[in-house]
Amino acid sequence: MQKDKINPFQFLVLVIFFTIGSSILVVPSGLALHSRQDAWVAAVIGTVISVLVIWLFTFIGMRFPNLTYVQLNEKVFGKWLGKLFSILFVIMTLLNTANLIAHSSSFLKTQMLPHTPTIVLNSLMAIILIMAIRYGLTTFARAAEILIFVFFFLFIVLVSFIIPQIDVKNIEPFFQASGKSLIQSSLMLAVISSVNAIALLMIFPAFVTQIKKAKANFLIGTIIGGIVIIIITLLCVIVLGINITIRQVYPSYALAKVINVGNFVNRIEGFMAALWILSLYFKMVIYFFASVLGIAQILSLKDSRSLTYPLGLIVVALSVLIFPNIIYQENFDGTTGIAFSLVVGLFFPLLLLIVYAFRKKQLKKNIEN
Amino acid sequence: MINKKILLLLSLIFLLSGCWDKRELNELAITMALGIDQSDDGYKVSAQVVVPSELSSKGGAGHSQIVLFQATGKTLDDALRKLTKESPRLIYPGHLQMLVFGESLAKEGIGKALDFISRNWEVRADFYLVVAKDSTAEEILNVQTPLENMPSNSMFNTLQKATVNNSTTTGIKLVDFIGDLERKGNEPVLTGIIITGDKKSGSNKQNLDSISPSARIKYDGLAIFKEDKLIGWLDEYDTRGYNGITNQVKRAVSTVACPEEGEVNLEIQNYQAKLKSKTVNSSPKLEIKIEVTANVGAVECFIDLRKEETITELEKTFENQIKENIHHTIKTVQNDFNSDVFGFGATIYQQDPKEWKKIQDNWEEEFPNLKVNVDVNVKIEHVGAIDNSFLQNMKD
Repeated sequence: MQKDKINPFQFLVLVIFFTIGSSILVVPSGLALHSRQDAWVAAVIGTVISVLVIWLFTFIGMRFPNLTYVQLNEKVFGKWLGKLFSILFVIMTLLNTANLIAHSSSFLKTQMLPHTPTIVLNSLMAIILIMAIRYGLTTFARAAEILIFVFFFLFIVLVSFIIPQIDVKNIEPFFQASGKSLIQSSLMLAVISSVNAIALLMIFPAFVTQIKKAKANFLIGTIIGGIVIIIITLLCVIVLGINITIRQVYPSYALAKVINVGNFVNRIEGFMAALWILSLYFKMVIYFFASVLGIAQILSLKDSRSLTYPLGLIVVALSVLIFPNIIYQENFDGTTGIAFSLVVGLFFPLLLLIVYAFRKKQLKKNIEN
Repeated sequence: MINKKILLLLSLIFLLSGCWDKRELNELAITMALGIDQSDDGYKVSAQVVVPSELSSKGGAGHSQIVLFQATGKTLDDALRKLTKESPRLIYPGHLQMLVFGESLAKEGIGKALDFISRNWEVRADFYLVVAKDSTAEEILNVQTPLENMPSNSMFNTLQKATVNNSTTTGIKLVDFIGDLERKGNEPVLTGIIITGDKKSGSNKQNLDSISPSARIKYDGLAIFKEDKLIGWLDEYDTRGYNGITNQVKRAVSTVACPEEGEVNLEIQNYQAKLKSKTVNSSPKLEIKIEVTANVGAVECFIDLRKEETITELEKTFENQIKENIHHTIKTVQNDFNSDVFGFGATIYQQDPKEWKKIQDNWEEEFPNLKVNVDVNVKIEHVGAIDNSFLQNMKD
């Protein structure tokens, strides 16, 4: 069973990667679709909502400092009901892993490798995914710790090189979006980057040292990730204009394409693609980690490692099968995916808190015994 | 154990064999310029492709450095694919620099062609879009150019330099065009390109053998669009006015008449135009505020540059001249084309969204009658290395 723990900084890095994750690639066009030139306002609101949601997660986590989310379900809801909720949770994380693999391959297929079969791209991704989980939490957390610097280096390069292309006209007039459309789009962002972060409750607080510091880092990481998303969204709209941002399947990649500093620094989007691949990869690693550990704990297995290969195969198969085409994928992410995440990531935790409030005394006795 | 390691190393062979989508340089037909014309059943595509062996530092065999492949098809994609029937290499548009539309196609609309261009994953957004004035795109791409080996390079660099140093052209890229096309209250424009001289001999490499080539291509005029259809041309004078309104003047030279006879050249150093929307008595109005700093470039008349009044007078004349130019351009566009290429509507939306909501549905009727107030402020800072011209002493 999982024994090693990661330090608060490593946890912070994982939270940042998770929050940015797939959002950096697809969120700007989703936000711009409803909020037009005020997409960045929606991103700000979305980040604020995210922080609230993460605060709820830390609140839950702090009550049971030694349990993962799956163990916690069983403790609070009882053995069978708890297992049922945990199964739904694991289905969500497993589906999301497959979803992200599909995302990464459709990105590569659209923009770089149109003739490479999807299954090859997905399998390659799955191999390094399984590798990460087999090496264990501490290993991939350390990898993330190093790669976050690469990520932010590329991010700063992207931002500073795109600044000359800014045209403020593109976001004027300010504050034209209606409250309804703002909330609609900001909720989408909050779900993608924070409600899904329920998966992080498989790491926090059970496998983190200095829980209090880690709790603060959970919130800080969400804010840093949110700021990255806000900046990317703002840049997309302010450089490309609203209509082009909405229409792009991968608006932030289109952003990297227009970089041109003095006819010298240009055509660097291939280099920039590392940004998205990195953040997608760590998000899927966290989902997959949660799935593997979750299933092992539901079935009370002693070693979760034996699950990695079969689950890896299932994920690869799912990633090819779940979406017949990219439009289906976009629609799924925008409707069904959000609803599912809200049930598992928001409704269940809230239910858990309510039940906990009633059973508080009884549970405390159990822990003492 | 050792067997396992060897097996692992052997399996690497499959992973390191390279990329699935690999395409070697010698399999690509690097297309630098693409011309699109109308044909009977769709599009006629002309692709100007580099001949790499002729560009090598060893010199090549002295043949043409570019070659033109052509094909027709129902759609652009179709036509481009048909090029493979003629070209031994696959057309690669990743280095595209110029996209030329024939005038007749531009009149029919170029929107459909642009969908393919922006959907294609290899095409980037950093090439210029131009319209062949009074000719087809094919003819434009059939001319050898001096100084630069490749006509596409020549066209690209010329337009880039001209956009900065001369305010009578303006370079438009894909994002600019589509942005203007989609923005409400804003219609797009494109740069015009023409051939002068003998069209037929331009394609021959001997075109470059004489000091003055018999065929040349150059930029001229501005194509006015309504939605994606070409509806008319602005001449050089009005193009300058257009650039003045849309704040695209960077550096330029203007000729200003002296009080008596002769002329003074002013070099624009800094140019700022700001549009302001104002609603007076519930009818929209626009104000253009222009700030110009200029230096004296040449004096061809008898004026006393040492006097401050002379400078003030020159400033006044130049102000009026700019004002006149801009009013003329606005009037031409309002009366002849009724197409809001200046983005006046977009300006009203940006600054007064409520007002725009009221008028956006009948903007077409509002635009020709829109009142525009132009306010110019010229500041002359330097007069060059000498002040009074020696022309004055020559008189004695």
